[in-house]
Amino acid sequence: MNTDLNLGPKRPAEPSIPSPVDIRYGQIGLMQLRIRTTDTGVLLDELTGRMNTAPNFFHRTAVCIDLSELEKAPETQEIKAILEAVRRAGMLAVGLAGASVQIEALANAVNLPILSAFRAAGISAAAVEPAQRVATEPVPSELGNAAMIQQQTVRSGQRIYARNRDLVITAGVGAGAEVIADGCVHIYGSLRGRAMAGAHGQLNARVFCQEFHAELVSIAGVFRVFETIPATLAGKPVQAWLDGEVLHFAPVGG
Amino acid sequence: MAEIIVVTSGKGGVGKTTTSASIACGLARRGKRVVVIDFDIGLRNLDLIMGCERRVVYDFVNVIQGDCSLKQALIKDKRIETLYVLAASQTRDKEALTSEGVRRVLDELANDGFEYIICDSPAGIEKGAHLAMYFADRAVVVVNPEISSVRDSDRILGLLASKTSRAEKGNGGVKEHLLLTRYNPRRVASGEMLSVDDVKEILGLDVIGVVPESPDVLSASNAGLPVILNDVSDASHAYEDAVARLLGETVPLRFVTEPKKGLFARIFGS
Repeated sequence: MNTDLNLGPKRPAEPSIPSPVDIRYGQIGLMQLRIRTTDTGVLLDELTGRMNTAPNFFHRTAVCIDLSELEKAPETQEIKAILEAVRRAGMLAVGLAGASVQIEALANAVNLPILSAFRAAGISAAAVEPAQRVATEPVPSELGNAAMIQQQTVRSGQRIYARNRDLVITAGVGAGAEVIADGCVHIYGSLRGRAMAGAHGQLNARVFCQEFHAELVSIAGVFRVFETIPATLAGKPVQAWLDGEVLHFAPVGG
Repeated sequence: MAEIIVVTSGKGGVGKTTTSASIACGLARRGKRVVVIDFDIGLRNLDLIMGCERRVVYDFVNVIQGDCSLKQALIKDKRIETLYVLAASQTRDKEALTSEGVRRVLDELANDGFEYIICDSPAGIEKGAHLAMYFADRAVVVVNPEISSVRDSDRILGLLASKTSRAEKGNGGVKEHLLLTRYNPRRVASGEMLSVDDVKEILGLDVIGVVPESPDVLSASNAGLPVILNDVSDASHAYEDAVARLLGETVPLRFVTEPKKGLFARIFGS
């Protein structure tokens, strides 16, 4: 997962009204509890023994239960008993580790996420494939949100950012203004400033404008400034899109 | 009900003070009760253009700080009965202006029966310019037909649409008007200057007046006589038209094309 979000040449300003939720990638150290038996009596004894050596350290600490060292994946009843033992020892289980189809089913049964699937030992190649595919898919974006609509001219020095949605501007964008969207940018007027689409890396985002005089256009962080944009497009309806690493411009519409 | 009109531009030297003085005189000549306030604290000029520099005793900052009453600081114009000037302080800086103080003075002027309060903004987008526009109902944005002035005006228009009391309260925003000054049709024709249509198109606003470039403007400033009062000047007629449009009259645009040469001039050339 690419956690380095690409926001184009500049990071967009926070919108004037903060969204009630921020979804961000963060890294937090997480204790791994690797178990080699499903015998809950043995587990509980061992855990309580360790707890007593450092009660402040282990009490209510979040742990990920790594099942990859077990010879065979536990049954649903067994995993529930293991979780109960961990809870009684004073720790809080927040996920399961281990990559196999059975463990995925177990995780669903006890309603816990699977964490760090690749690091767990003893993964079969077949099991890695789907896990990686899932992990590299973009986070389901909320680009289905209704577009943000701006009806006033965006003046020099102003910045408009449409988070997780398209941006539709029914007026012009002045020189020195910046319009930014995580989705596409549509401008039904002249574009004299900067337009940035796909601010969080959406490669299929596009920029459309009715009258093209842009200073800069960027899609998913790939940008071109006006000097490198064909002068023949000036004043025309234009769209810009990304093909690999190349940003293309062409007339659009009649 | 007083109407507060800010004259602003972002860029310096485009003719804000000349415009403030002429619009104030034009409105007052039509019988309106008008006060024009210099917001350029520390660089006061309006008193010179209005020709009342020797009569400044108390200024805007004195009123805000309670050193004197508003009546003591208002300077009555000698030419037009209903026109008053509130000068800026030359010895303070813009930090002496406070939002609360400006609001109080504007309220008091409105209660005194002034119909138009013209706020002559300093250049820039700092505190003085901010406070000059903050309480405005309308804005006259002064633009020269060249790209740096147009861009600065675009910036100012953005601030008018977001950083003013009307914009914050959401009651319709500040009504914006463009006024082109130093317009030279000959240089527009030769491509050295932007045309009225270029400026209108870039800024997406209609113009309320086009004042031609004229030596009369400088000589009027030197004489302390607002150029609108020089009745034989084109600049005066252009300001007169702009005042008429401010009041909602429809007046055709003048001075935007090169004057046609007469037969004699065409034959013998220049």
